[in-house]
Amino acid sequence: MTSFLRKRIVSSAIPLVFVVLGVFCLARLTGSPVDLYLPLSATPQQRAEFSAAHGFDDSIPVQLWDYLTNAAQLDFGTSLRTGESAGSMVLKAFPVTLQLAGMTMLLAILGALLVGSLAAYRPNSLIDRIAGLLSMTAASIPDFWFAIMGVLVFGVGLDWLPTSGTLGGPEIWVLPIATLLIRPFGVLVQVVRGSMVGALSAPYVKVARSKGADPRRVVFGHALRNSITPVLTVAGDLTVGLVNGAVIVETIFGWPGIGKLMIDSILQRDFAVLQAAVLITAVTIFALNIVIDVCHALIDPRVRQAVPA
Amino acid sequence: MANSDTAGDAGSADGRTLRVVLTQEPPTLEPCESSLTATGVVVRSNITEPLVERDPTSGKLEPLLATGWRQTKPTTWTFDIRPGVTFQNGQPFTAKDAAFSIDRAVNSDLACNVDGYVFGDAKLDVHAVSPTRLTVTTEKTDPILPLRLSFVEIVPRTTDTKAKVRIPIGTGPYAVTSWQTGVSISLARNADYWGKAPAYPRARYVWRSDASVRAAMIDKGEADIATALDHTSAEAGNTVAYPNNETTALRLDGREAPLNDIRVRKAIGMAVDRKGIIGALLGGLAKPAAQLVPPGVVGHNDDLAPAPYQEAAARALVKQAAADGVPVHRRITLVARNGMFAGIAEVTEALQYEMARVGLNVRIRMADTATHLQYQLRPLPRGVGPVALLIMHGNQAGDAAFTTSQYLQSDGPQSTFGTRDLDRRIAAADALSGKARQKAFADVLAYQNTSVVQYAYLAHMRGLLGLSPSVRYRPDSATGDEMRLSEVSPAPAGRR
Repeated sequence: MTSFLRKRIVSSAIPLVFVVLGVFCLARLTGSPVDLYLPLSATPQQRAEFSAAHGFDDSIPVQLWDYLTNAAQLDFGTSLRTGESAGSMVLKAFPVTLQLAGMTMLLAILGALLVGSLAAYRPNSLIDRIAGLLSMTAASIPDFWFAIMGVLVFGVGLDWLPTSGTLGGPEIWVLPIATLLIRPFGVLVQVVRGSMVGALSAPYVKVARSKGADPRRVVFGHALRNSITPVLTVAGDLTVGLVNGAVIVETIFGWPGIGKLMIDSILQRDFAVLQAAVLITAVTIFALNIVIDVCHALIDPRVRQAVPA
Repeated sequence: MANSDTAGDAGSADGRTLRVVLTQEPPTLEPCESSLTATGVVVRSNITEPLVERDPTSGKLEPLLATGWRQTKPTTWTFDIRPGVTFQNGQPFTAKDAAFSIDRAVNSDLACNVDGYVFGDAKLDVHAVSPTRLTVTTEKTDPILPLRLSFVEIVPRTTDTKAKVRIPIGTGPYAVTSWQTGVSISLARNADYWGKAPAYPRARYVWRSDASVRAAMIDKGEADIATALDHTSAEAGNTVAYPNNETTALRLDGREAPLNDIRVRKAIGMAVDRKGIIGALLGGLAKPAAQLVPPGVVGHNDDLAPAPYQEAAARALVKQAAADGVPVHRRITLVARNGMFAGIAEVTEALQYEMARVGLNVRIRMADTATHLQYQLRPLPRGVGPVALLIMHGNQAGDAAFTTSQYLQSDGPQSTFGTRDLDRRIAAADALSGKARQKAFADVLAYQNTSVVQYAYLAHMRGLLGLSPSVRYRPDSATGDEMRLSEVSPAPAGRR
């Protein structure tokens, strides 16, 4: 297991490095932030002073070296926009997104296991067809459209939920989570169903059934356990996508999470915050992937041998 | 994130908190950055106040922290300071604070927007003669100095001079009680305010970038005022339209062929179907424009009429230019900024189509603010070919000098080219006052249309404000930049 873990860490760390370096270089290709932070009529001297004060007059390799050496000491620089520490801004925003993403995935997985298993238990039945239609629709609906329709229907029309915001009772979670939930739920129902159909037709299930085992135990105890691996894989990918996809939800509903922070940082050319947000998000995704891989390996020993040296 | 307060980010509808939803979080509340729309709409005349203020309807200057002012020498203005005013921290306001604030905003190294935009980086000699008297001396005669000073927000002389402040202190009717980054800004009524107490004890700003959500917050009663609504998503009963001083136009880069030919530039102005665009894409919330400043701004030329839509004549002009060797098929980049106004993508596509109809080759580039600024400001980008930049200019100050110095002068920070004659006319107009000033700037704007044609105008825009039935407020042309909360009052009970 230790060897497996070491190999997975090494192979997962490579994209992490590329992402961090790529964002650093791409951000600088978008141009200097001087125009956004200095008056329209700033003198060349003021521009030069601003650039020097923030290190923008150094060459890209020097800026990169400074960034990496400071980041190694957990100093991510200062936000041009707010003057706050970039690291602390990210650490404030990140839990907001994690709460949203975590809650969403939990509900998506539980819902998909239930609906997908029911659909798989009787393929081509009415319930299977309804589940298929709903999951395909859910996986196809654009997030922003669903969010706006949710606001108009459940916020304004029916007056059941607040339109947006982060302060309030449990009701404030409903629309943001529903918006985030709809796509992973749709995808996962399909995955669970497909995986379960295969598992339920496997010889060991037939044997269990022929011995008169409790159908619920057959489905949830035997078949589900053996079909969970692809579900975990897809759920892991979807969770990563959720952290990134939270941009729309956070923007529309006014949630000050990491997605909104990233978008604002890009638009404001707030490089320090953008880099800190990307680094911390990438490290989290890296850790998440490792956890998912470990779960796979624990569930299915074949995975442990499949990782190349 | 959740807590037991079910009132939402904007607060509860208790009639004691005025709830305002903005399009974006202010990047700063620093008073010397109040000429930035997102900052000024919160700060100006709510938290801090200037010495004088311009009445947005009449255009006249009104006393505020100064009770009177006069030109005592050709280059010196004297201001009488209002006695009995205190800052929100209890410190008394005197002429020394006014002098400090002007020095801090205009003469310092803080790089305040007000310094360049309003004062053109000119240095001022500011002197507190007594606690109630202030003199301001300029390098050369400045007939509109009091108007310029209406952009300087007064802060106590204990304010940091080395760095911009996050939470400002002023003399205004409200003080900042908290700024929860990313969530809201809360204000409380200043109990010691020198003027009439505002109706609402508290005010709270939140921000939602999506116009339909802002409109929904008004419809649902979660907010009392919402800025910059989109006519496609707002309920007519809960909105009020108002002229917002913004003018949209295409800035044509006359240094690059084919835009270096005045016939091509004029043809673009004739090819734009202003009425059609306004009616179909802007919900009728605009008026065709013939100049960069709207009515009410000193220098606006009442005699200029928008160029009529003349597609055939425009095509003939382009053909004429082509016959003389102008490369009219060279690709022009039409640059527009996402989110500049509701429906900008559709308007940009319509402009592209209309320019193509008269024989020009146009491609669209939608940009974010930072990229748009690279096209908008000097030093202008090199090697990008001919550019038609869709701009939206807001003249908050009410005088064409602020427009011409930025957008028309040959070396103006936002101009691509000009002529010596135009520069001379602008400089001459800027030295005048009263009716002579009005006429001279009106002539400048007419001259630009006939002899320079750096702009193809589109429209004088109108804003759409969401207003809950529970509040009374009449927006004016300054509302987008300076929403005075003290002018908002609860609606009479029977009319809600």
